[in-house]
Amino acid sequence: MKVNFWGQEFQVNMWVGCLGGFLIAIMASMFGFGGGPFMVPLMSVALGLPMYLVVGSSLLAIFFNTTISTMRHYQFGNFDLIFFLAMFPAALLGGYIGPQIAKRVSPLVVKRVACVGLLLLALNLLGVY
Amino acid sequence: MKKIVSRFIVMTMTCIALFTVAVPFTAMAEGEPDTSAASKDTTTSTEAIDAAKAATAAAVDAAKAATAAAVDAAKAVTTDAINTAKSAITEAVDAAKAATAAPPTINIDKTTIENGGTIKVSGQATAGMPVYLEVWAAEHTVKSNLFDSKKDKETGKIPYIFYITEEMPAYYKIFVPKEMQPKIDAAKKEGNKWSYSALLKELGADVAYSIPAVAKIDRYQATLMASIVGSRGKLLDQMDAKENKKRSMQLVKARFRTIGNVIAAEVNVSPDGSYTAEIKVRKGVSPGQYKIVAVSSKDLKSQPATFENKISPPTVYMSNAGTSMNLIYPFVLTLAVSIFGVLMGAGGGFIMNPLLISLFPALPHTIVAGTVTPTVLFSQGSGIFNYSKIKFISWKLGIGIGCAMLLGGFIGPKLTEMITLDQFKFAFGWILIVLAALMFWQTTPGYIAKNKKEQSILNEFKKRAQEASTGR
Repeated sequence: MKVNFWGQEFQVNMWVGCLGGFLIAIMASMFGFGGGPFMVPLMSVALGLPMYLVVGSSLLAIFFNTTISTMRHYQFGNFDLIFFLAMFPAALLGGYIGPQIAKRVSPLVVKRVACVGLLLLALNLLGVY
Repeated sequence: MKKIVSRFIVMTMTCIALFTVAVPFTAMAEGEPDTSAASKDTTTSTEAIDAAKAATAAAVDAAKAATAAAVDAAKAVTTDAINTAKSAITEAVDAAKAATAAPPTINIDKTTIENGGTIKVSGQATAGMPVYLEVWAAEHTVKSNLFDSKKDKETGKIPYIFYITEEMPAYYKIFVPKEMQPKIDAAKKEGNKWSYSALLKELGADVAYSIPAVAKIDRYQATLMASIVGSRGKLLDQMDAKENKKRSMQLVKARFRTIGNVIAAEVNVSPDGSYTAEIKVRKGVSPGQYKIVAVSSKDLKSQPATFENKISPPTVYMSNAGTSMNLIYPFVLTLAVSIFGVLMGAGGGFIMNPLLISLFPALPHTIVAGTVTPTVLFSQGSGIFNYSKIKFISWKLGIGIGCAMLLGGFIGPKLTEMITLDQFKFAFGWILIVLAALMFWQTTPGYIAKNKKEQSILNEFKKRAQEASTGR
């Protein structure tokens, strides 16, 4: 498939993109996360697209997944309104505060911290400690 | 017992024999006039004495033989008698039990608790019978589901049946006599593989198990095709009462997970049948009415005693999750996680889900996944809106891959309820390890150099896009 973006034309292998997107979507909706950190590498590395094309388009693709999985979770009765209302304002507030802090911290440091934090969480889930 | 009885009978027999022999002997020795032949020809006293002696000897012999016979007879009689007595006693005891085994009584020391607490229960049961206390939340029910993918031992087939009930009490626990603690400890050693039904049987507490047994359970035959189209499968017929009870026990375990949540050894039963127990209701359970029933056997149940669990804001009951929670915790947690999510460039869901599951074990993983997902919806929407304002989205590419993700997102949520918490944790653990590796890769020098170039191009494009949109 050919994609035209700001005057440039990109050749996109939609088979790889759709299969990868499909698998990531199953995983993301099953475990309740967005899936951005997996979609961005898929589109930039596996499809070889430049970052400026990937950022917006991956967000749009994920939005589809999040919408439908929200509906499905609601259908199965896995959605708790009060719990949601406790978290939702906090998520909005965090989305507002986050970018302001982001200007002052090095992304490299954040990523290293995240790396360690994620590993600790993973080991906790796997019951190592 | 047997010996004493037989000895007693032998002694009595001997006494009677000797007495009957001795009476004529004494009479003769005293030489009293008798109407018998012996007294008629009383020629000399010596003769009489000799005759008497011979008679005595004969009598003694006769008595001896009689005694021996009597002992044999007595022995036979005793065994029979004991057997008869035994069965008579058993019957009598049963009759007595039936007559005196009234259902246990129950008293509680208070009728309200505040977000959990301890209630002292006391009462009188029939002496010698166990007392179990069945406690449940009468006002709120929760959902519990289970996917049976274990190989059937008899047929060797995997059933792939999905069981779900909406009528599980939000709180359910059976308190057993204190001396059963070792059995509970033994079951705890089995880790996650413990079986609720086996433990109930082992403790004899299955007589107290009644409320979830009658919950309406739906079961679906899952197939690969059904999974692909995202349905639970074909709804099967209702189970009979016995099968329903058996599955309900599995659903109790699926919902409450740990032994400590469903069974505790807290009842002190005295030999006279009176009992006391301190029932601890944990924090974070549903509010409203609770009921306690004391149970001695299947037919011997007390009237339910009722108490109320009160919760007050900021602790709120979440009806779908089936737990009460202080809402400040998830608020603060979400705030921290979403800020960090912005910084690291990943949605908060990756951190939020595992944190919620580790920190609040009372929350079912299905609810966590189902509720965290929509929270990121808004930030994604606003992101798309911002990018679209400056025309920084390739709609063709986004929608193309988005359609594939739509399919995946349709299937995924059904799989969430099919897996157990342990499988959820295991899979999520590995997902996080992959994510951590991705994060690590993004800190390697090669990536940074490439990223710098990409970022500058990205910023250049963004600037142009911004100018184009504002210039119009």
